[in-house]
Amino acid sequence: MSLFITATIILISLLFGTPIFVVISGLALYLFFFAQIDLSAIIIEMHRMATTSMLVAIPLFTFAGYLVSESGAPKRLIRFSNAILGWLPGGLSIIALITCAIFTALTGATGLTIIAIGGILLPAMIEGKYPESLSLGLLTTSGTLGLLFPPSLPLIIYAIVAKVRIDQLFIAGILPGTLLVLMLSLFSIHRSVRADVPKTQFRLEEVFIALRESLWELPLPFILLGGIYTGYFAVSEASAITVVYIIMVEVVVYRDVKWRELPEIMKKSMVLVGVILIILGAAMGLTNYLIDAEIPMKILDFIRAHIENRFFFLIVLNLFLLAVGCTMGIFSSLVVVIPLITPIAAVYGIHPVHLGIIFLTNLEIGASIPPLGINLFISSIRFERPVLELYLASLPFIVILLIGLTLITYLPWISLVLIR
Amino acid sequence: MMDRWDRFDKIISQVEQFALSFFLAVLILVAFSQIVLRNFWETGLSWGDPLARYLVLWIGFIGAALATKENKHISIDLFSQWVSSVGNTLIKLINHLFSTFISGLLAFAAFRFTQNEALFGGVSVFGIPAWIPLIILPIAFGLMTLRFGFRFLKIFFTILFTGANQDDTNSR
Repeated sequence: MSLFITATIILISLLFGTPIFVVISGLALYLFFFAQIDLSAIIIEMHRMATTSMLVAIPLFTFAGYLVSESGAPKRLIRFSNAILGWLPGGLSIIALITCAIFTALTGATGLTIIAIGGILLPAMIEGKYPESLSLGLLTTSGTLGLLFPPSLPLIIYAIVAKVRIDQLFIAGILPGTLLVLMLSLFSIHRSVRADVPKTQFRLEEVFIALRESLWELPLPFILLGGIYTGYFAVSEASAITVVYIIMVEVVVYRDVKWRELPEIMKKSMVLVGVILIILGAAMGLTNYLIDAEIPMKILDFIRAHIENRFFFLIVLNLFLLAVGCTMGIFSSLVVVIPLITPIAAVYGIHPVHLGIIFLTNLEIGASIPPLGINLFISSIRFERPVLELYLASLPFIVILLIGLTLITYLPWISLVLIR
Repeated sequence: MMDRWDRFDKIISQVEQFALSFFLAVLILVAFSQIVLRNFWETGLSWGDPLARYLVLWIGFIGAALATKENKHISIDLFSQWVSSVGNTLIKLINHLFSTFISGLLAFAAFRFTQNEALFGGVSVFGIPAWIPLIILPIAFGLMTLRFGFRFLKIFFTILFTGANQDDTNSR
């Protein structure tokens, strides 16, 4: 019993701002100690995790994402999509959704989207006479919108922890991710029309100028996805190609970023990589213990005794994951919860890749759910608004996203059709 | 002692910063040359993949150590906005003490792990003994222990000399 009490106390310290990796390793060390396992077992797990060959993709993609965010690419992207879609009713809101999605895919849902893109888009939307609550809600909930698109960091981490094929997960995320963007776009159009937002005119000339301006950046998604989809290169190779390509484009061609600025960007991005890797490593140690102690089996027995069918299981799973995503944040939920969930979901006959998409969609939405969703707090700081105002502004968007989640959950086809 | 530690810590963090950029640059070069070699000459560097893996290990742990200095570790801060500044200082104090303790244990475990590898381990890339690339583990955890520890001491002394009302701004 004292084992349980101490473990609970350590877990509670999580809520008081103790670094997550400290809490997880503390828990693992304590449990190892109690089970009389040598403490270096946790280091063995960390080392094994940190030298997985797939992991090479994480520093490379993270650096590429940071480099893009420091360059003029976001502005060019906004200008380009504005030239093509600006004439639509609610055009700017659609642009915001697409830009946020692409940007999150590149930077991996680390809060950079709201800070970097939101800062450009909010003034633009308000100037374009979009209702303030629409703009705020949209930009807040879009902070994690691109989570399902490759090469987002959570996708890679999910694949590593759940031992799912990463190329399949990359491809599987495309349709569900597009569905969410599409649903939010339709909703934004509806709201913009009702609010009588003035339209801008379509000018072919502007399309050409914007196209020429971002000519070098546009091929990247196609190279990346095409290469992975056709199996021409592996994901870790795709990450190396992406980095080199982005360095060439942003530093050599556009010269948005100077060579001497690279070390600083490298350092900033690699600190983030370290922060994530050490949580991953600690969680691997903890997981190892949990599996040895057959905890997932015990949870499974409990769940099987209470939940009969898959339909009901999926509801419970979604509610649980939304709560976890809202309270624990994306990265810690990933590493802590995946090992517990995957064996259980397998019993209910859920495809591992489909489970991954459900999982990540939940975390994506959970990040905007009051009271603790991280997007709300980042927005509150970035836009200097009270959190309460953002709760209200985000609410309609969360409802739309939840409808999307239901579709993704109960229509496995959306996630699986491209990988069959 | 505090001043001396701060100066020492600054030098170390500059080394870390340089190491991060350097290792990442090497990683990019190695990973990219592998692709070029494979596609155009149908060959590859036999040491390329193991080297890349060790580079990721070093980058990850140096990054984590540096994150400790810069206070960038992910944490969930639920209560700080509702707790008085005295309460907050106390929470921080306990937090840093706990973090110091856990990092210390991890440093110890990492040291034991590396020692074991040195006794029984084989050879890694370029004929280097396998334990050499692993020394980053005890080093990184050791640094984290020192950094959390000194941060704890700083708050502790601030409370001792000025009372808990004085919030140490550097410690957040």
